[in-house]
Amino acid sequence: MIVIFIERLLQILGLIALQVLVCNHIYLWGLATPMLYPLFLVYLPLNSNRIGNMLWAFVLGVAIDTFSNTPGEAAAAMTFTAFIQWPLLHAMAPKDCVESMVPTYHTMGRWNHIRYVTILTTIHHIVFYLLESFSFFHAQDTLIAFGASLMLSLVLMLTLETLRHGK
Amino acid sequence: MSTLLSWIRAWGHWLVFLLLEGISLVLLLRFNSYQGSVWFTQANTVTAKILSWGSQVSAYSNLGEVNRQLTETNISLQTENETLRQRLAVLEHDSSLTERTVSRQLAGIKRIPAQVIDNSIRNKDNYITINRGYKDGVQNEMGVVCGTGIVGIVCEANKHYAVIQPVLNSKSSISCRLKNSEYFGYLKWEGGNPLRAFIDDIPRHARIKIGEQVETSGFSSVFPPGIFIGKVKRILNSEDGLSYKLEIRLSTDFAKLREVNVIEYKTRTEAE
Repeated sequence: MIVIFIERLLQILGLIALQVLVCNHIYLWGLATPMLYPLFLVYLPLNSNRIGNMLWAFVLGVAIDTFSNTPGEAAAAMTFTAFIQWPLLHAMAPKDCVESMVPTYHTMGRWNHIRYVTILTTIHHIVFYLLESFSFFHAQDTLIAFGASLMLSLVLMLTLETLRHGK
Repeated sequence: MSTLLSWIRAWGHWLVFLLLEGISLVLLLRFNSYQGSVWFTQANTVTAKILSWGSQVSAYSNLGEVNRQLTETNISLQTENETLRQRLAVLEHDSSLTERTVSRQLAGIKRIPAQVIDNSIRNKDNYITINRGYKDGVQNEMGVVCGTGIVGIVCEANKHYAVIQPVLNSKSSISCRLKNSEYFGYLKWEGGNPLRAFIDDIPRHARIKIGEQVETSGFSSVFPPGIFIGKVKRILNSEDGLSYKLEIRLSTDFAKLREVNVIEYKTRTEAE
């Protein structure tokens, strides 16, 4: 139990550092800032506690918000995504997998995993950018920023996944 | 009690979810003034946005007209600016000693200020056109001077324009004298350097210094005596070897000539 706790904590600290120190400084074409912290949700194992996941996601979101001056946005987006993540993973996990399965290329299959990552990240970006704009009138700008950031985030996430588990 | 527990077990994630989202939204609305204010101003924003779109469209359709007006304003301002700049340059011009001397010598003589509108220095026979004619009192055979000295003689006066035969003309022959020794001769230009002219027939016994000033003699009815022409630069022998030929450095730079004065000078005999 305590091992899992420390593992989650280290994951969160690493993702915060990655996002705050690296990704937040990327602002491609004045539009796209990659968001890699949803990776935390991607690698939650199948049998993890649903409520616990949401709490972790919330904490991670608040931390990101504090560093990027977006109070509540990442927190709400992460909580929502974590809420979706549990049933999504249960629906997409292979029938014959072990209970403590961690979703990767190997455990889920390449295309299944890509779909899983894409859905999670897209949900997160949708909520984040809805709250970010909070207004219909910037719809076009927000949509472009949403699309650009989403593409960039996904490319980076899948690259990371390939580097870690792809071989 | 057990019902409540089982209900919480079944629906707990919803409770936590709503709670966390609630906290997030509170954070969002409390700390971010934009999201906080958008609730209360959205209706007004709709109106304002639509109005602003409308005005943008009409502004865009008017751009052609606006552009034309701007161009016109721009041109008129540029013209005005140039006129003022020229005026300022005339007013602020630091008058040299020569200019003060010339203007002092011309005091009491009727002057007709004019501007050069055409000029040449490259030909053998150069002419200058000025924007004053006989309507302004300019007549043939009148002298023309500028701030730095002599320019030439009016050779053709039109109604509103006059043509001047300047020193830089092979036909020009202006009576002049050396300021100190008072030997006199005729100023001739032989082409080439527009700052170089010659005086022939200075007798051998004359003692002439390099740098001596040359001025008009006043023998003719064209120029009053004492108008600056230039300085002796070199002393040469004339072709027949019987007299000196002086090379004169002209004081007037004809290449930069802009403002001139036509002078109406009458000799004493004429005046009487």
